[in-house]
Amino acid sequence: MDDEAHILAALRRALRREGYRILTAASPSEALALLETEAVDAILSDHKMPGMSGLELLAAAARRRPAAARLLITGWPDAIPGERLAALGIRALIPKPWDDAELKRALRDALAR
Amino acid sequence: MRPVRIVVAEPGRAQRRLPTVGALQRLGGGVRIEIVNDARACLELASGADLVIVDRELGDQGREILSGLRGVGPPAVVVTREATADAALDTFRAGAADCVTASADFDEVLPAVALEQIRAFRAASARRAVRERIESLERLHAAIVDHFPAAVAVLDADDRLVAVNPGFARAFPAAGEPFEGRPLEDVLPADLLASGGLAELVARARARGGDPPRIARTQAGGAARAFDARAERLDAQGRTVLVLAEVTERERLKQLQQQVLQTEKMASIGQLAAGVAHEINNPMGFIHANLAQMGEYLGDVHRLHLAGCALAERAAAEGTPALRGAGERLLGLARELDADRVFADFAQAIRESQEGSERIRHIVQDLRAFSHRDDGQLVCADLNRCLDSTAHIVWTMMKHSVVLRKEYAPLPPLPCHPLQLEQVFMNLLVNAYQAIEERVRRDGGSGEIVLRTAAAADGVLVSVSDDGGGISVEPVERIFEPFFTTKEVGVGMGLGLATCFDIVRRHGGALRARNRAGGGATFEVFLPLAGPPDAEPGA
Repeated sequence: MDDEAHILAALRRALRREGYRILTAASPSEALALLETEAVDAILSDHKMPGMSGLELLAAAARRRPAAARLLITGWPDAIPGERLAALGIRALIPKPWDDAELKRALRDALAR
Repeated sequence: MRPVRIVVAEPGRAQRRLPTVGALQRLGGGVRIEIVNDARACLELASGADLVIVDRELGDQGREILSGLRGVGPPAVVVTREATADAALDTFRAGAADCVTASADFDEVLPAVALEQIRAFRAASARRAVRERIESLERLHAAIVDHFPAAVAVLDADDRLVAVNPGFARAFPAAGEPFEGRPLEDVLPADLLASGGLAELVARARARGGDPPRIARTQAGGAARAFDARAERLDAQGRTVLVLAEVTERERLKQLQQQVLQTEKMASIGQLAAGVAHEINNPMGFIHANLAQMGEYLGDVHRLHLAGCALAERAAAEGTPALRGAGERLLGLARELDADRVFADFAQAIRESQEGSERIRHIVQDLRAFSHRDDGQLVCADLNRCLDSTAHIVWTMMKHSVVLRKEYAPLPPLPCHPLQLEQVFMNLLVNAYQAIEERVRRDGGSGEIVLRTAAAADGVLVSVSDDGGGISVEPVERIFEPFFTTKEVGVGMGLGLATCFDIVRRHGGALRARNRAGGGATFEVFLPLAGPPDAEPGA
């Protein structure tokens, strides 16, 4: 999930050949709605979004789909205190601009656990 | 000589026996004679007169006049008909300056005596006036010097103190009294003398009359003090006066205000940089990712193309006529489009764009690091990285005329405020660059900046050397003075050297500058391993 359409497209492109079924959402509310109906294995979210921050979204997601792996992708990695990541059980923090190889590896590792 | 005024006090015509006025008229036209008959009239006119003649015939009135004039007014000469010694003694005791008795040559004696008395009186008056003026000036002078808030010292031709004012003793109590005859080095703190180059300042004043004022600093007595120092030549004997005025609270306040302004400027520039970095970050995210993806796709398409060409070749060689034609058309198209070149170039273009996007990524990272809000906490930082990231930011400005050489030694982590130190490095780098630019404009060629780091036993040394025009100010330390005029740092992201000096000092370190033997300058920053002496949050 990311509020910028081009980023969603680029993420989708990067993960296309990994064999995942990819769902995208352009806003936190869209994402939460999706989580109601779809059983996802991993959630990759942007942090700075209007309305709700990525951390808040992932916290809400944890309640709906506790089994799903949670990953945060953000342009401001230093703004996020490590304790909050741990408390929310976020498996990986990926900085923007991201490296495709790093993204794929992080997702694979998160799903393996 | 201005007109002479004589007051004659004599009895009325009835009792008059002496030809006083007639005799006085022999003094000539420049004499004004006023005749009175009693004491009161005489004393009234006496204050404006040069001489008073009293006829003894006036008796008590005459005595009154004499006592009235005693010590105050013009001299009094008594004229009398009694040529006795007693009479003369009496007149002198009464206060007369002289006594002329009636005689055959009365007409000659009286004017002569009168003239003599008048001249003596006027000379004495003039002398008294001058003395009073001198005394008044001396009092004024003493009042000024005594109350002057600055330290004033007069030095002789050998730089020994001739005199000092109370302000001097107050400012330098450790010197001890007396001051006279002692050399300047004996009396002033050594660091004050050195930092202001005071011996040289005095020498220049003696030779040329005066020199621009300087700032001298001292730590003597516990607190750091700064003085505005001036010297002027006093006289032809080689004496000079040295004035040391302490930089007052107002100056300190002005300096602090300047620093706050600079900090605010830096903060708003920081915010701008942070905002720009953020805006650039997002598009860079997908540009970067898409380029990678495009490279992959291109690989796929190339494989497809190669397979197609292979098929076309088989068809052209072994197929039916229709297939042969189609195959040859495909191969012909590939040749016409120079397909190999297209694919190679396509891949190259993608690679170069990726390089560009990498560079942007680094610049954004450096900008973010630079603008990161300082929360006042001490951080252990690797100064090589701080220096490097700062160099990277300014590199885009410098790369055309300057070669940047890095000689980094491994450095231990140092407790510091990295943001502040990066601002110092930024300033030094920009200064070095500008010095080279100026020299290159004059003499052509190119320049080199060398960044060196080294670990010492008790700290870390970072130096920025350039081969620009060097520092032409003497002593060189003056460039760190708060109000010393230097060119504006062009980029606008640097701080004044005074603020840099301050930042380094607050880290417990030292900032020094010196000219290099072959031309150019080196700025050295020393930072102690122990970190700042007392951690000032948000300082």
